[in-house]
Amino acid sequence: MKRMVVALVVVLLFSSSALAADYYPPYTGEPVTLTMWAWTSNENYSIEEFQKAYPNITVVWEDFAVHYNKAQTALAAGSGLPDVLMVEYSFAPQFMDLGAFQPINKWLDVETFVELYGEIALGWCSMDGQIYGTPQDSGANGFFYRKDIFDKYGLTVPTTWEEYAEQARKLKAAAPDLEFAAPPLGYALVWVGMIWGAGGKMFDYHDGNWYIDFTNPIAEEFFEFWGELFDEGVLDIQMWWNADWYSSLNLGKTASVIVGCWFAEWLRYNALDSEGQWRVAVPPFISADQPHNGMIGGSGFYVTTHCKNPEAAAIFVNWLNSHPDSLRCLHKYSNLPIMVSTRYAEILEEIAGPDEFFGGQNIVEELWKAHQLVDTTFVGLPIWSNMDTALSLLIQDYVDGKIERFADILPLWEQQVINTMKEFGYDNVIVGRLP
Amino acid sequence: MARINTKVPWFRKMAWFGKKTTWMNKKKLISTLKAYAFLAPFLVLFVGMVIYPISLGVRLSLYGQRGARMWYIGVENYQRIFSDTRFWESFKTPLFLLGVQVPLMLFLATLISLAYETRKNSGVVYRFIYYLPYTIPGIVAGIVWSYIFSDSMSPLRPLLDLLGYSGTKILTRPNVPPILLVIILWEFTGYTAFIVYSSLISIPKEFSEAAQLDGAGFWQIAFKIKIPLLRDVLITLFIFNAIGAMQVFNEPYMLGGLVVLPNNYTPAMYIYSSAFSQGRFTYAAAMGMILACITFVISLYVLRTAARNVLRSRS
Repeated sequence: MKRMVVALVVVLLFSSSALAADYYPPYTGEPVTLTMWAWTSNENYSIEEFQKAYPNITVVWEDFAVHYNKAQTALAAGSGLPDVLMVEYSFAPQFMDLGAFQPINKWLDVETFVELYGEIALGWCSMDGQIYGTPQDSGANGFFYRKDIFDKYGLTVPTTWEEYAEQARKLKAAAPDLEFAAPPLGYALVWVGMIWGAGGKMFDYHDGNWYIDFTNPIAEEFFEFWGELFDEGVLDIQMWWNADWYSSLNLGKTASVIVGCWFAEWLRYNALDSEGQWRVAVPPFISADQPHNGMIGGSGFYVTTHCKNPEAAAIFVNWLNSHPDSLRCLHKYSNLPIMVSTRYAEILEEIAGPDEFFGGQNIVEELWKAHQLVDTTFVGLPIWSNMDTALSLLIQDYVDGKIERFADILPLWEQQVINTMKEFGYDNVIVGRLP
Repeated sequence: MARINTKVPWFRKMAWFGKKTTWMNKKKLISTLKAYAFLAPFLVLFVGMVIYPISLGVRLSLYGQRGARMWYIGVENYQRIFSDTRFWESFKTPLFLLGVQVPLMLFLATLISLAYETRKNSGVVYRFIYYLPYTIPGIVAGIVWSYIFSDSMSPLRPLLDLLGYSGTKILTRPNVPPILLVIILWEFTGYTAFIVYSSLISIPKEFSEAAQLDGAGFWQIAFKIKIPLLRDVLITLFIFNAIGAMQVFNEPYMLGGLVVLPNNYTPAMYIYSSAFSQGRFTYAAAMGMILACITFVISLYVLRTAARNVLRSRS
């Protein structure tokens, strides 16, 4: 009996390590140094842990801020890209299309990818069946709100968009100086992400063709919804990512923000005066029986065409974004609450706990719920920065009064996007429907 | 320097090296070599930092480009630019600066330099203080000024609130041209005044003393005698400031962080955005060439008109 138990344990041990070995094959090549560009508040990108597992691969990490301009220049110059590049999911198709990445299917095939990261993530890290990288953090929308303002004015966390409008009106009536929320003037990721949260989309890529349809019913309904609130003066549009916006969050002039769950890290570093006042919740749904969620941001790590040793790079990006040792590190040092990898569930119990900045709330648990509700996906257009600029200008025109209805922005935006796609030489664009 | 062509056949020229050089020829050769040796550092840098990049830029502008691919398309970029309304619209702001900021700044700088001249010794403190803004890098100035005009952190906010303007934003897109005016005047007027001042004190005192004896007042002397004599330096300053106005980038770019500005707010911003945000490097190179030509034409025009005026007034 005892021998059988021992045999069973040995077999189990072997099989589990064999399974693990399936995901992380040993590296049999020459010792190599990989370079990586990534941004974060982290001092350590799990690199030490990785080098314990793979002593022959050294990783050198350079922390630039968002480095897309530099990456594009290096790409055009023909050299200068690092081996591994961090790119947000929405911008990745642009780089994939420009030929900035090389496929790593040889070392990370589709089946393994789906097992480790889920099928949805294929839309962010692959195109036409070629896998270029692995996803790291989830940008699942979260509803970040100031508990002190909510308590003071008797507001409740909205669970549907109707309730959201109600609460916004309530706050405006009680405190005209404060904003319930300040949607961004531009920053297309948020607008696309909120429509994603309603289960919709405005563009996609399928079978070699790009599909564009900005004026579909879900998008129109959404922009009408916001337009009503803006016209009533209940919500104000504000430019994000500048000192004015941070100070409005810090000083409590804005009561809530809907943005990707990685925002927890940003709040921690930029809104220090408001420590302890913020909470998170799952964002409101279109209606209680249609629970969806979308993503705003979140980044993947891709292997570039300038990489001379794609095998080592593929091993690194896979290990970095799925091995529990690495995920633990990323969570602890990058303060990223949720990672995309399915293996994150393995350490969830261990790392989820009360968070001081959020007044003791277990934000990992809450945001994991939000992440699980992301059940649709689509591929971003390869001209994201142009799309972004176009939206900024249109929303500015709306604020200036040159565009009457907020929903009128959609057809104008669509037209500009189509023109830009043509200008950049895309003749495989299908307008008016989505796959 | 024109060389007289003596049409010496090439083999004769080669024979010159073999011929016994006279003492006079050797001296000429050595002095020519010395001249080039002194010029060499400048020449090397000039060729490497100016000529080479410009010629590379011209070469780049003849190609189409997407990502890492480049293919030869001749002058197609230039043709596309001529029909690109976004590029030509971007000239609104530089033309505003050229027409308003440059003359205004030269006028203010001249007034200030006249004031400097009346206090040659005790005025040192003021000359120093007014010169300081020039030493601050444009980007730093842009950041600090954008805070001054921002919504939440402006030191002007309490004053505005007191006056009843608590809701209004200072930094809005229609307000950007006057705000640019303020920033650029603050940055460069002191420096310009200093340059005009150094020309002013080199005007021989005899002219103004003679005019004083004839009964001319301070302002009459200033505008009828001193300023006409400063014409050369004022023309030079006008040209330099015109070039700066056409290529303005730092200040609007920094303001663009706090207010939504189109990426073609100035030609330089459009070129930057085309190259680095949109990755169209060759298109941007072509636009850069065109901007350089336009700036050159404007400078040439100013020089020619001014020279003609000088000739006319002196004849």
